[in-house]
Amino acid sequence: MKSRGKVFAWFVIILGMLYFFLPLIATFVYSLHAKLGHLSFQAYTNVFHDPKFIRGFTGSLIWATLTIIFGILLFVPTAFWVRLKVPKARTAIEFITLIPFVVPVIVFTFGLVRTYSHPPLLIVDSPFLLVAAYTVISMPYMYRAIDIGLRAIDVRTLTEAAQSLGAGWGTILFRIIIPNIRVAILNGAFLSFAIVVGELVLARYLVKPAFAPYMMDLIQNRAYEPAALAIISFALTWACMGIISFIGRGGQAQVGGGH
Amino acid sequence: MRTNKIAFTVLSLILVASFVLSACATATTVAPVAPVVTEAPVVTEAPTKGSSVKDIPQELIDACKQEGMVTIIATPGWWANYQEIFDTFTNLTGVEINSLNENAGSAEELAAIEANKGNMGPQAPDIVDVGYAYGDSGKADGYYQPYKVSTWDKIPDTLLGLSAKDPEGYWTGGYYGVMALETNTAVVENPPTNWKDLLKEEYKGQVALSGDPRTSNQAIQSVFAAALANGGSLDNAQPGLDFFNQLNQAGNYVPVIAKPGTVAQGATPIVLAWDYLAFGDKDTFAGNPPLEITYPSPTIASMYVQAISAYAPHPNCAKVWMEVLHSDEGQLAWMKGYAHGVQQADLEARGVIPADVAAKLPASSAFSGAVAPTPDQLAAAKKVITEGWMTTVGVDLPTPVP
Amino acid sequence: MSTYQPQYRKVNVATSELEMRDAPKARPAQPKRSWAWLGVVPFFLFTFLFLLYPSSTIVTRSFRELGKGAFTIDNIITLFKTPYILNSYWISIKISLITAIGGALFGFLLAYAAIRGGLPTFVRVSLLTFCGVASNFAGVPLAFAFIALLSPAGMLINWIKLTGYNPYFHGFTLYTMTGLSLVYMYFQFPLMVLIIAPAIDGLRREWMEASQNLGANSAQYWRYVAFPILLPSLLGTTILLFGNAFGAIATAQALTGGSINLVTILIGSELSGDVLGNQGVGYALALGMVVIMALAITGYTVLQRRTERWLR
Repeated sequence: MKSRGKVFAWFVIILGMLYFFLPLIATFVYSLHAKLGHLSFQAYTNVFHDPKFIRGFTGSLIWATLTIIFGILLFVPTAFWVRLKVPKARTAIEFITLIPFVVPVIVFTFGLVRTYSHPPLLIVDSPFLLVAAYTVISMPYMYRAIDIGLRAIDVRTLTEAAQSLGAGWGTILFRIIIPNIRVAILNGAFLSFAIVVGELVLARYLVKPAFAPYMMDLIQNRAYEPAALAIISFALTWACMGIISFIGRGGQAQVGGGH
Repeated sequence: MRTNKIAFTVLSLILVASFVLSACATATTVAPVAPVVTEAPVVTEAPTKGSSVKDIPQELIDACKQEGMVTIIATPGWWANYQEIFDTFTNLTGVEINSLNENAGSAEELAAIEANKGNMGPQAPDIVDVGYAYGDSGKADGYYQPYKVSTWDKIPDTLLGLSAKDPEGYWTGGYYGVMALETNTAVVENPPTNWKDLLKEEYKGQVALSGDPRTSNQAIQSVFAAALANGGSLDNAQPGLDFFNQLNQAGNYVPVIAKPGTVAQGATPIVLAWDYLAFGDKDTFAGNPPLEITYPSPTIASMYVQAISAYAPHPNCAKVWMEVLHSDEGQLAWMKGYAHGVQQADLEARGVIPADVAAKLPASSAFSGAVAPTPDQLAAAKKVITEGWMTTVGVDLPTPVP
Repeated sequence: MSTYQPQYRKVNVATSELEMRDAPKARPAQPKRSWAWLGVVPFFLFTFLFLLYPSSTIVTRSFRELGKGAFTIDNIITLFKTPYILNSYWISIKISLITAIGGALFGFLLAYAAIRGGLPTFVRVSLLTFCGVASNFAGVPLAFAFIALLSPAGMLINWIKLTGYNPYFHGFTLYTMTGLSLVYMYFQFPLMVLIIAPAIDGLRREWMEASQNLGANSAQYWRYVAFPILLPSLLGTTILLFGNAFGAIATAQALTGGSINLVTILIGSELSGDVLGNQGVGYALALGMVVIMALAITGYTVLQRRTERWLR
């Protein structure tokens, strides 16, 4: 039975791979046509030589990192506390975490700009506002990933065991809970990272350097460079995911009862 | 149980508070705030009568240098050769050009003005470049401040049957484009030259619009132009929808929004687009792939107007910008970008158009059949087209096999 | 396990009695009930400042008349009176449901295959990192990737055409709801994989072995053990996928232009189109989306509570 399961598993994976890679291969092949007559990497050279590309991509990298860190700091304690002490708040919080889904980003962005472009809350220019906005946008995914991670471990027992050994809340959170939901946090981090790098509207209106506006501008005007950029961004983002994965390596420790 | 009630109360209070607060906030900002009074000297009508950038008054340029930045929006450098205008402005003032949101639609530009009232930061646009309909509507909504450039008299009063400038100076027409057919001749050997051609068998699955007909000015006007050729008029856009229905039934229409990438790749080898954008693409592609641009007849022309924001943080730079746009250099830059500058007739009369530029421009006889709708006609057409599109060429009808 | 909670309470009482008699309290004093709420204040404060308040314009501006700013419910009425608007909601919901359920199914299979399918570790790691990237590969680049693959001039179609068969002459086309759903899956599958992976990890091997020891076959294990445990997470993620598809705009617009009638595209046309739109209707449309999502979330919450009940 095990080997039949394995065959099926390989079948599913290969099917998935075909689905995911064929469009990428088609894009890549197309991007090689920048020079008339023969295949070349001209489109890629053009992109790499564009200072706006470097500025946009590094900008997005920085925003993504800050968003992930801030998200972890805000959502893990909240989800933990809700699970442990205030389960009644769960409905309200889950509702709130799903609101960013349905508010069109443009409405949200205009709202942010209007609210924070007048004293005393004149922070429309501050990078913090962008990070906060990105955190809000990635909230449905980040919070849910963390919540599912917490669901899979027995939070109560772990906490009580730690408390009975004299641990304070900080130790509990950072040395026990977070390592146990490492996989979930990583996945949430992946999602947040991808969202921030792919996000278009906020970066535009808050006038901060980012990758997606650059991509969109290129699409309006160039024929081959956008395809090259799509491949480049895919590869670079994948590399960043690999780095995040490496930083957070170590499987989820099975400490304490599951359910 | 007590905490449950508290939870509910707290959440409701938060939600209610947020709505009430924002309602109050928006209620108090409904009336437009008076335009910002700047420190630097304000010039509303320039004294000199020259038309080169060298004739722009030095005080204005100095005032602009003091402001240190100009914020533009929805103005990419490759749109009608705006890049040359950017360079001219920078050479003149040395001031930084802050380019916001190159892809914004006209509505977004005005929304950006509105959302940034009172904000002196780089998010607030100083000057906008919007579709013709937004000239009067923006003025009515109080988004613009008046300014008449020094070459005001050189701008014709009317162009294509429409006012080319607001009599009080709130907006000024800059350039216009004509709807044309852009064809990738590597894929389509025999480019179509008029509306009837598009229905031919050989163009199955090849004809596309450059935007979504419900949101994009270009796409809506493409459908509008089709109406003119199909028994409609500037007051009746319905035949345009019927034409696209025919096109869709014949399997010639491909619903993909055409971008340079899709044109080059071959998914949308025939596109309805503004001529200056089509010619711009031709230059960008440089033969890879080769493009041919033809004007169907009749066709539509559309003017783009520029205006200074009433809340502009850098009004003097905005004024210098306007002066540059309406100087000889500015108008020539647009013409090199294949757009038709409003002062073209004046430049021609004075003989200041270089021969090589004149040679690259399409002969005006090619688009002599171009007409321009008034804002009211455009609004009516937009209503008909956006509402009728879904039922005429929507998913309610199966897209036939190309 | 299902009666864990009551047992806990009993133990609590017993040990506290012991404590009073013997050793000093090892546990810190339980905080008073009402103070526990302070722990969630940062979250509520943050979301109020940066989500609820800025987004509340959805409500206030839905009730504003175009150009005059007066209060009106005309915009809401327009939503119900205009057939193509109602149709757009229906189509948006339809495509979101299809891609949510389809995405959940195959996404779950992918995740399970990579994590528990007995495959080498690199498969799991590569899949998860790839999904991180692919989950947000959307909009024009995604549409273009599929166009480059499956348009009449696309790579795969060209390969097939080499055999003399042209799919486009036999009714195949990318530019339909089915084609769009296929494209949507590109970010739905990865989203499912990423979010359900921790839950699959939480399925302990011992349970599979225990159920086998008790004589259950694979189907029974799934039906009585694994599936019920996973159901709350599965439901939750499906809702997430639904919301993800519901809010998508750029991909649909790029691929099918104006052919497919989605609410998000309508909102874009009113709020940020190039030709004069009615802001009030745009915000009202967005408000409608919020209401629908609220209904979906309520339905999910009810379902989730029921399926979770036995887990406590």
